[in-house]
Amino acid sequence: MPLTFIDIERQKNWRIWVFFLALMLLYVIVCLAFAVPFLPHAAIFSKTFGIGRFLASVFLISFMIAGIHFFFAGYNAVSSVVTSLDAQPPDPSDDVHKTLLNIMQEIHVVTGSRRKIQCVVIPTLSLNALAAADLKGEAVIGITEGLLSRLKRPQLEAVIAHETNHIRSGDCLETTLAASLFGSLASLMDRYTDTAEGRHIVHPFLWPAWVLLKLSLLLNMFISREREYRADAGAVRMTRNPVALAETLHLLSRSWRGAGFIGSNYEMMCIVNPQATALDEAEGFWADLFSTHPPIAKRIDLLLSMAHVNISELDTKATSREENDHQPGQPAYYAMSPRQQWQGPFTLTELEKLPWLSPLTWITNGKQQPVDRAWKEPLINAIFTARLTCDQDALSDTTCPACNQPLVREAYEGTQVNVCHFCAGTLVENDKIPRILARTNRERSCTERINALARAVMKRNQLKNAQQKLSDLREQHPVPSLSCPKCKNPMFRTFFSAAYEIEIDRCSFCGITWFDQDELEMLQCLIENRIVPDSTEPGHVRLANS
Amino acid sequence: MFAWILLAALGLVLIWLVLVYNGLVSIRNDVQNAWKQIDVQLKRRHDLIPNLVSTVKGVMEFEQDTLEKVISARAMAVSAGTPASKAESENMLTQALGKLFAVMENYPALKSNQNVMQLQEELTSTENRISFARQLYNDLVANYRTKLQVFPNNVVSSFFNFQTEEYFGAEEADRAVPGVNLSMRGK
Repeated sequence: MPLTFIDIERQKNWRIWVFFLALMLLYVIVCLAFAVPFLPHAAIFSKTFGIGRFLASVFLISFMIAGIHFFFAGYNAVSSVVTSLDAQPPDPSDDVHKTLLNIMQEIHVVTGSRRKIQCVVIPTLSLNALAAADLKGEAVIGITEGLLSRLKRPQLEAVIAHETNHIRSGDCLETTLAASLFGSLASLMDRYTDTAEGRHIVHPFLWPAWVLLKLSLLLNMFISREREYRADAGAVRMTRNPVALAETLHLLSRSWRGAGFIGSNYEMMCIVNPQATALDEAEGFWADLFSTHPPIAKRIDLLLSMAHVNISELDTKATSREENDHQPGQPAYYAMSPRQQWQGPFTLTELEKLPWLSPLTWITNGKQQPVDRAWKEPLINAIFTARLTCDQDALSDTTCPACNQPLVREAYEGTQVNVCHFCAGTLVENDKIPRILARTNRERSCTERINALARAVMKRNQLKNAQQKLSDLREQHPVPSLSCPKCKNPMFRTFFSAAYEIEIDRCSFCGITWFDQDELEMLQCLIENRIVPDSTEPGHVRLANS
Repeated sequence: MFAWILLAALGLVLIWLVLVYNGLVSIRNDVQNAWKQIDVQLKRRHDLIPNLVSTVKGVMEFEQDTLEKVISARAMAVSAGTPASKAESENMLTQALGKLFAVMENYPALKSNQNVMQLQEELTSTENRISFARQLYNDLVANYRTKLQVFPNNVVSSFFNFQTEEYFGAEEADRAVPGVNLSMRGK
């Protein structure tokens, strides 16, 4: 990778010419197809005109058309991406947007202010970010409102740095060109594909386009997966905080990434593929060839191994300092604070006193052990076992699927459920759910906070559901799933029901359901207030009784 | 005939000389520009600090010592000249600021103060800008040094007396104790 932004600016990208040639070839074929019926007539004046001249003129015409197409597709690509996503520039009077603007300023310091990178906010609740660049030399980073509100500052820095690296390495220009040359067809197909009867019938008029689209899949071969790894590495080089990026990717993988809202023509520009496809999560020759995004799990692993390197640097610095009163031989741990920064080194006793230490905190001892969740280290796990102060009888035999800590049996709406004292999730046997729902309203009524949360989540999930129905149902949703605390098989992440679209994790073998924090309360709240989805307008929630 | 070949060779050498010289000058200007960038960001930091100090002074009256340290470190940083002394005094300022932010965590009144939050965000951003500017500067210096020292450029550079540039040292303490930098970042 070239050293600075300025070096990269001086590079020319040969792949762009490959795109141009591909486009020209396409037009040559189209021109020939049109001209062939007239060939017998042309043969009459072949003495004066000649087959060579005929071919030459076909090439010339297709060259001109391809040139015009290329120019129009590539010249204004950035502004057309921005308009089609309805993205807005950030609002400086808004605190969250102000942070984004500040980060963009910081990025401009790195790039030496040689090239202005615009920044826009995409008004959707989904979580994703994308970058685009065009032949005019404009570049833009788009980030969804949902992602902006969910990320902490260091995480946002990492995402922006990742996208900036796409722009500065030049592969962003390639993908933008590919998307605007061939991808506009893809979104056209999305619109005219007949899904009303659950079948996929392409409008006959679009058959040639369909063939073209399938051919353009070959383009994905050029859009290699490598560039995502490279952008990740570049982002780490810039921000020196690999775990913040890893956390963000994890968050993205568990959430709605904007399938349906962000058209499939833009998918290769995004930080994670909006459509969670099985191909992306697969490895091997074919997946490498045809997929535009690498498996998220692998990206996270790579980032965490970079964190390991980072930590060992810190470690040597720390041990070389005399005032550090660490006894050698005692394990020293580094922990990721809730602000996404490494802190440490801590001894076990110091670690125990940290108020923010949870089983899901990232921990490493900086030497041989890779970065991992705190509960995986037996010594630290003992801290949590000690913290769990409750009756031994109340301890259930199951563990929390997220934090792996023993669950505690508690009374909830008059029945027994298993609660995790660390992440506040709840495990309920399926046969008890109707009881809880029926007794809703009896003991506790839903608070203002849960009410607002329920509405927001419902609205978001409804959109997500609607988009999922539109897109291919046969494709499985390969989000990294929690494993069932009883049978250890992966649990199925799904909506509670078609009417109450709260996402839950369910194991159908053992008949249990896992509610993350607040999910059970939200479900109750929805039922209590009779908040049902409005079927006429997706994304709109109305009150049934008002 | 021989004279013509000699003349052509001389001409080529001359062209090569001009190219190398111009290349070195342009990269030296890049380095100097990057150094100016650091200066701009440091100035921004120095301007923000008095604001922050005066905002938190009322609430943090028991922490006069910490505040004094920040003010004196700032004064030293403002007067520093060479890259080396600048780097050193800026590192001291970073540490003093880090201490201040750590102490500020103990005052809930400050954490809920909109003004302080905004100032803190501005300072966080400035810290990042400084570190990014330093990254750019050091990258360029490394590039420049390589260009100066490789053969045959080194002949040209020593003939025209091109000086190497100093690196802007990374903060040792900041890297050793992540705690210092941590509290500055984050919202």
